[in-house]
Amino acid sequence: MGDLVFDIGYGHFLVLAAVLFVIGMAGVLIRRNALIILMSVELMLNAANMTLLAFSRMWGDLSAHTFALIVIAVAAAEAAVGLAIVVAVFRGRRNVDVDRLTALRH
Amino acid sequence: MSIQKAFLFLLAVAIALGALVADAPEATAQPATAQPAAGQPVQLHVVPSDGPRGGVTVNPTIDPDRNLHGDRVESHGKGMALLFWVFAAASIGGALFVVTRRNLIAAVMGMVGSFLGIAAVYMMLYAHFLAVVQMLVYAGAIMVLFVFVIMILNRPEDEPVAPTGHVGQVVGGIAILYLLFRLGMLLAHVHVPASAQLAPPPMQLPGGEVADWGTVKAVGSDLFSGGLFPFEAISILLLISVVGAIAIAKPLKDDDGEDADLGEDLATAASGAPHTDGGHA
Repeated sequence: MGDLVFDIGYGHFLVLAAVLFVIGMAGVLIRRNALIILMSVELMLNAANMTLLAFSRMWGDLSAHTFALIVIAVAAAEAAVGLAIVVAVFRGRRNVDVDRLTALRH
Repeated sequence: MSIQKAFLFLLAVAIALGALVADAPEATAQPATAQPAAGQPVQLHVVPSDGPRGGVTVNPTIDPDRNLHGDRVESHGKGMALLFWVFAAASIGGALFVVTRRNLIAAVMGMVGSFLGIAAVYMMLYAHFLAVVQMLVYAGAIMVLFVFVIMILNRPEDEPVAPTGHVGQVVGGIAILYLLFRLGMLLAHVHVPASAQLAPPPMQLPGGEVADWGTVKAVGSDLFSGGLFPFEAISILLLISVVGAIAIAKPLKDDDGEDADLGEDLATAASGAPHTDGGHA
């Protein structure tokens, strides 16, 4: 037990990333506000980045840092477009509740 | 909300405590030396950079004790463990804040705390550059964008969490318990090799230079050698997303002027309540 608490290894980082990913996934699944869902997606991307960096350090390969940097840039682009969509949806409907966005449901 | 204040207070105290403990000699590096110690000639062996990507390769022949910037902290010891648990708790607590809060501003603040913890964890993984980028891009740019959008659409939620039946709750609870059990088993069985505890050795860059692991120089060298095409593609992607965001969020011409106000009035009347500036409830 002491080893588990005081010896911080790769497993700790990986489990932390897994927990963050699960929390983000739960946010996507149970929340109805589109903004919270976008934030939860960002959380999941961060968890994936943390896994990348942990394995990067484990294998001594820096290319995962490049990959994580590109993931961050894609996340920024995704946030910009996602928030624009949220604003556009709000402008037309006065709410951003994803359960009430049923215009495309046949 | 008192729980938010308590969370922020605990976070601040924990960071201060961690910083104090990290200053203890157990977990810190040697005092910063700008120059490598005299009398210890650094042996550099230029390896041909014919790695799988022609990029940065670890040169095992570099003296692992070579101290470029005096920031080679070995990631073991009780101070590092305390820092890890503090920042892991910060990131998980912030993430739980995001998922559970009704107030959107509180959710964003929890997200910023979570990103702070995640950046610190990146730092523990020797990803210094990415930790700084994380703070700049996420906590600095994306969260500000979220706050602006929340200010635009400032409406309290009716029912923040989707309704689930008893079956869904039971299945979800069992799934979460099983997940926690598996995570605990995984954590208990991970073997930490001795080499993993040491700071990663400096990198041999293609130009013959040597840089610390995870620094701007090392990451940049890899980015501009092996990841040059993704880098350029990212610039195009960002341009497209900027143009797309403007095009999507721009109001239509029909919405301008009186029609937009009329629509807002209609929506307000239909909702049966005046347009309160709530959301901080």
